[in-house]
Amino acid sequence: MLVSALGFAILGVAASAAAVDDTRTLGVERIVALIEASSDGETIQIPAGTYVGNLVIERSVVLEGRGEVVIDGGGEGTVVTILAPGVTLRGLHVRGSGAGVDREPAGIRAEVGPSIIEDNVLEDVLFGIDLRMASDSIVRRNRIVGMPLEAGRRGDGIRLWWSHDCVVSDNWLRGVRDLVLWYSERLTIERNDVADSRYGLHFMYSHETNVADNRLHQNSVGIYLMYSRRITLRGNSLRQNRGPSGYGAGLKDCDDILLEDNLFVANRVGVYLDNSPSSVDAVGRIANNQFVYNKVGMLVTPNTRRNVITENGFVENEEQVTVHGRGELSGNAFHELTEAGPRGNYWSDYPGFDLDGDGLGDLAYEPRYLFEDLLAREPNLRLFVHSPAQRAIEFTARALPELRPAPKFVDPDPLMSPPASRRVGPGPDRGNLGQVALGLALLGVSTAIGLGALRAAAPGTEVC
Amino acid sequence: MIELAIHRPGLEAPRAMTPALASSFTCVLAFARRELREALTSRWFVLYGLAFAALSVSVSYVSLASAGSEGLAGFGRTAAGLLNLIMLVVPLMALTAGAGSLAGERERGTLIYLVAQPVSRWEVLLGKFLGLAAAFVACLCGGFGLSALVLASRGAVGIDSFVMLVAATSLLALVMLALGFVISVFSRKSSVATGVALFTWLFLVLLSDLGLMAGSVLFKLRVQELFALSVLNPLQAFKLGVVQGLESSLDVLGPVGVYASQTWGERLPWLLFGVLCAWGMLAFAVAAFGFSRSSTA
Repeated sequence: MLVSALGFAILGVAASAAAVDDTRTLGVERIVALIEASSDGETIQIPAGTYVGNLVIERSVVLEGRGEVVIDGGGEGTVVTILAPGVTLRGLHVRGSGAGVDREPAGIRAEVGPSIIEDNVLEDVLFGIDLRMASDSIVRRNRIVGMPLEAGRRGDGIRLWWSHDCVVSDNWLRGVRDLVLWYSERLTIERNDVADSRYGLHFMYSHETNVADNRLHQNSVGIYLMYSRRITLRGNSLRQNRGPSGYGAGLKDCDDILLEDNLFVANRVGVYLDNSPSSVDAVGRIANNQFVYNKVGMLVTPNTRRNVITENGFVENEEQVTVHGRGELSGNAFHELTEAGPRGNYWSDYPGFDLDGDGLGDLAYEPRYLFEDLLAREPNLRLFVHSPAQRAIEFTARALPELRPAPKFVDPDPLMSPPASRRVGPGPDRGNLGQVALGLALLGVSTAIGLGALRAAAPGTEVC
Repeated sequence: MIELAIHRPGLEAPRAMTPALASSFTCVLAFARRELREALTSRWFVLYGLAFAALSVSVSYVSLASAGSEGLAGFGRTAAGLLNLIMLVVPLMALTAGAGSLAGERERGTLIYLVAQPVSRWEVLLGKFLGLAAAFVACLCGGFGLSALVLASRGAVGIDSFVMLVAATSLLALVMLALGFVISVFSRKSSVATGVALFTWLFLVLLSDLGLMAGSVLFKLRVQELFALSVLNPLQAFKLGVVQGLESSLDVLGPVGVYASQTWGERLPWLLFGVLCAWGMLAFAVAAFGFSRSSTA
């Protein structure tokens, strides 16, 4: 009796659990039905649950998921497609797009603007958020994690295609291909955090854009600007972007670029200038940036001119500023005349002095490194960096001035102290308890060996 | 000077293999302990230890100080400084210490007492080698330990990288010590041994690299030839290994590094480790062979 009652109870629990599951795993048709039952501009609170299928939105509605709604494409095609203007997607969890590159399946694709896509989580999707001719849209506070594929075969985390006047801010991207902007103008790109991807930010023919306060780290390239005009990069932090051709920021054939107050730390190359500016009437301005611990602070192609590079801090880059191949950089200004007098850049390897105390070195900064010069001509010799032979060559060149190469550029007014970074706060500080323990352990090993030897049996009593 | 009173039952009455091996082992250990004690109480070794500790601590400190107040200190930069220091100082210490060991005893006339003991010569040699090796590991651990504490004050130690650096440096010291022993075995006077050791140091640290650079430019060496030639130098193998460990690829070393990373991939650390081990074992074997045939006075 008791047993059968228990059996019924268990069956009952199982049945109710199954019922809950049934209500939770639904087809996206439920959402489509909700949309069709609503009027334009209405806000729809989608009931919590997992909805499987490909959702196509053809009416201007606001869809709210409150973090409780999962839309799962089931590994087929694009998960959510927006075909109506004025759609808002908020608080959804989107996953399971197709993986075939030919159709470019995405988590969320907007074919028309304006649309607002915010506070969503996207994972296991080939492309993340894809705006196609969806101007005036807003993409913010989304978390996007790409498929675990080789970097070149992934899709873009966020892509804007011919979508002007959009805002892309506060998004968090990991393991995607690029955050890429094609043919899109007058954008605002702020406070995004992109890591473990190919290009943190990638501009193709996209003009007049503000890029501020983004954090781009451990990508192959932080920011790559290509064929774009009038772009302002300000307050961005670019760390450890060190792919084989990795740059903090690369500028290819870009006109009127303003780079200010950015931080370039431990990239393979801090800033790469490839024929930028390219038009004769355009200029480039690189001011108040910090270049710290990069392999190369700034790498410039020989034909590049008309850049003003001033009040930057070049601190302990293995090569501070160098030419890609042979040539020199005299077409660019490494100082500027301001109301307060001339201002150059800070160079941590500046050997000069400041007798008159005006904060400017009394001698021009003229980098003449023989080994760097050799590297430009014989790239294979890079194998020998970090070795004492490199130091020996530099020493010889200092001792024998006729061996010194001509300087590639001159900064006539070098700053004596690094300009204060105005925008970027301190980097992540890891706890150091383990590090202290490591130090103590090493000292312990040392002491143990020493004590073990001295404590050894008194002379004359060792037996073997 | 000779503090060993060796009583070895294994030689008087032949026994089974295992006790003989065990007795051989304790003999080696006794020699090692004696060598270690002598090293740690000798003036030159204390000087080496202090110099290494002071240099590594100051390199760490300076590389942190230049980081400014932004907390930008990364271990990579410090490691590059330490790497240069290690490549200069550690081979110098180990080569001269190894070169002085046998030659010094021979000159002082104490070597003859050592080999007069009822032990084989390779046991003497191995004992001395292990003793000096332990002294070096103690010395390196001391210097690195202090540097780690300095770096930890700013949270700038990558623990994995640091342990790797200590291990690789210890291995380098052992290889250089073995090379020093080769010099020592074949030198009659300790002054000659030291001179040869210094020249070997100069060759390994500077001349071979400079020669390779010149050769690469003059003969337009291809990347694989340049890589093969440079990796023959144990110091280069050490450097490549450390860079590989810190950066997880050799791309930063230009076309040759890219070639090495792409050709060898996952096996690259083992290749470099193998080169170092081969140098060490080969050098020790040559030293043992030479010592077994050399005169003791």
